[in-house]
Amino acid sequence: MVRSIFKIALLGACGTLFAQDELSLSLNGFVDTYHAVQVDYPHQYMSSRTRLRLEMRADYGEASLFTSLNLAYNGIIDEQTGAFLREAYFDYAGELLEIKAGRQIVTWGVADGLRITDLISPMDYTEFMANDYDDIRVPVNAIDLKFPGESFTAEAIFVPTPEYFVMPTGEDNPWSTELPEKTRVDLENTPEKRLKNSEYGGRFRYFLENFDFTLTALHTYNKAPVTVTSYNPQTDSVLIQGVYKPMNVVGGDISIPIGEFVLRGEAAEYFGEVLSSANGFSYKTRNTFNALAGLDWYAGNNWTLMLQYMHKYIADYRDDLALEKNSSTVTARISKELLNNTLKLSLFGYFDIDNLGFYARAAADYLVNDQITLSLGADRFDGKRGTFKAYEKNTQVWAKGKYFF
Amino acid sequence: MKKLSIAILLASASLLFAEDGREIMQKVKDRPDGDTRTSSMEMKLINKNGSTRIRKISSYAMDVGADVKTIMFFQYPNDVKGTGFLTFNYDDINKEDDKWLYLPAMKKTRRISGKSSKTDYFMGSDFTYDDIGKRNIDEDTHKLLREESANGFDYYVIESTPNKDGEIFTKKIVWVRKDCFIAEKVEYYDKMGKLHRKLQASDIKQVDGFWTVGKMEMQNVQTGHATELNFTDPKYNVKLDSKMFSVNKLERGL
Repeated sequence: MVRSIFKIALLGACGTLFAQDELSLSLNGFVDTYHAVQVDYPHQYMSSRTRLRLEMRADYGEASLFTSLNLAYNGIIDEQTGAFLREAYFDYAGELLEIKAGRQIVTWGVADGLRITDLISPMDYTEFMANDYDDIRVPVNAIDLKFPGESFTAEAIFVPTPEYFVMPTGEDNPWSTELPEKTRVDLENTPEKRLKNSEYGGRFRYFLENFDFTLTALHTYNKAPVTVTSYNPQTDSVLIQGVYKPMNVVGGDISIPIGEFVLRGEAAEYFGEVLSSANGFSYKTRNTFNALAGLDWYAGNNWTLMLQYMHKYIADYRDDLALEKNSSTVTARISKELLNNTLKLSLFGYFDIDNLGFYARAAADYLVNDQITLSLGADRFDGKRGTFKAYEKNTQVWAKGKYFF
Repeated sequence: MKKLSIAILLASASLLFAEDGREIMQKVKDRPDGDTRTSSMEMKLINKNGSTRIRKISSYAMDVGADVKTIMFFQYPNDVKGTGFLTFNYDDINKEDDKWLYLPAMKKTRRISGKSSKTDYFMGSDFTYDDIGKRNIDEDTHKLLREESANGFDYYVIESTPNKDGEIFTKKIVWVRKDCFIAEKVEYYDKMGKLHRKLQASDIKQVDGFWTVGKMEMQNVQTGHATELNFTDPKYNVKLDSKMFSVNKLERGL
């Protein structure tokens, strides 16, 4: 990783030698510190981390090199302390072809915080969902080709070695699930990093007078592990393993502004999605249809309201699957900016309809000046059953400070 | 009968003035500004205690018939650096503008409402999106109130009232300089009829043969907050590719 950064710095330096007039270099970033405390007894720290983000950019004509790096100290999870390369890519913008090659975050689709066609960059659930959305995405090594038009863009992407979800594990992580005795979890058995296990796809995007729409096709994997449990009678132990299988995805999205509202839709058929069986000892593959409808209301006076409904339908359904034939999720976001946009109050809710569970985040962000933002907030997890119920004890209050330079 | 004649005469005079007011505002809107233009803006937000925040923006615009395409990139402060805003501003008052916002932290472009954001304030400033865009003159009814002279210049004083509900002002008084058809001063009145905001344009000069405003100051007299907008390096009729005004460019940035 450090070697890659040196390479980029070297390339930047070479550029300086050959074309000082046209090369521009920039260094930006921020320092942020985030601390969260459990609301319930024993009121332990759920998170305590400070980091320096460095973002370096070298531009030379239509080409550029970009690197972002986190230098982090985590007071709770040891393995999260250190230097971590986030993005490092080469970018070239020709008139007919644009190339972006290297480690990058890829975001597709129009859904807000939910994944229908946005499947390339997985999620980092080290602290489950209690992290900013821009920090929760995992970068991937990819070659992205774009054919840019005025109101149309064609894009092809190739990810030789896909990345997979990062799940909360480790005894020092308050977000990892407590396991019964003699139980081990192995989520590292992701597909071999070989070309035959690559990810590839493309999309066509149109931006028109009354609406935008995208058509998407992708050969990918279920990047969130489906788990299968096995019992070893000889050692009297249980092993929970992750299963990752290829699948093909065909879908698209649409955005339609209607007065003060914007209607968003996203849908995709997953061909051969791997699903857990009800008994947890095996898995099945099924075709599933995944769709989302969202409504954004720009209500004026700096009020914004967003509502999303996501539905999953499993074809050829049998009762031996862990998921219901139809399952649904609702998200809602409301925000208001005050004091000439220096104070932002927001509330985000994520509702698991089938398990009657929810996650809600309330936050207040105050811009002290052009460089410093202070934030206070609270996260609540609750429900009858399911993941949010399991995280009930992780309900927390938090504070964050961020300094940009 | 005499009273009726006077009333008809007054009504006719009012219609005559209304027509004059519209013609003047049409000349303000049609003031030559090239087919394309670029500039850098520094926006200084000043609260009533005197503390300031700075926003720096690069702006590009292109006329497409009577419509205007604009793309803006935020350069400073660093928490919003890379944020891009693309607008297709339609002259037809029955057609809503098309707007897209690119948020670099999310690495995502959002299609946003072309209607409501017009009356919202732009990035914490005292200018609404409507103030910084090109408002169709037929969205308001214009009446020439009087002509006056001050500071060595002659002015038309126009009263403009919105034709639709839902605007943040119920009336504005505009001082239009006769020699260059620039709105040098504007007073905006709220729903209670009280003065709400005051706009003052200055550093008015010719650049490449086009009359140009170098500085605009909008003051919210009710909150004490003010915004200064300084335009640097204005250029007209520069060669711009139409692909500059695309979502793809919005996402790439400058």
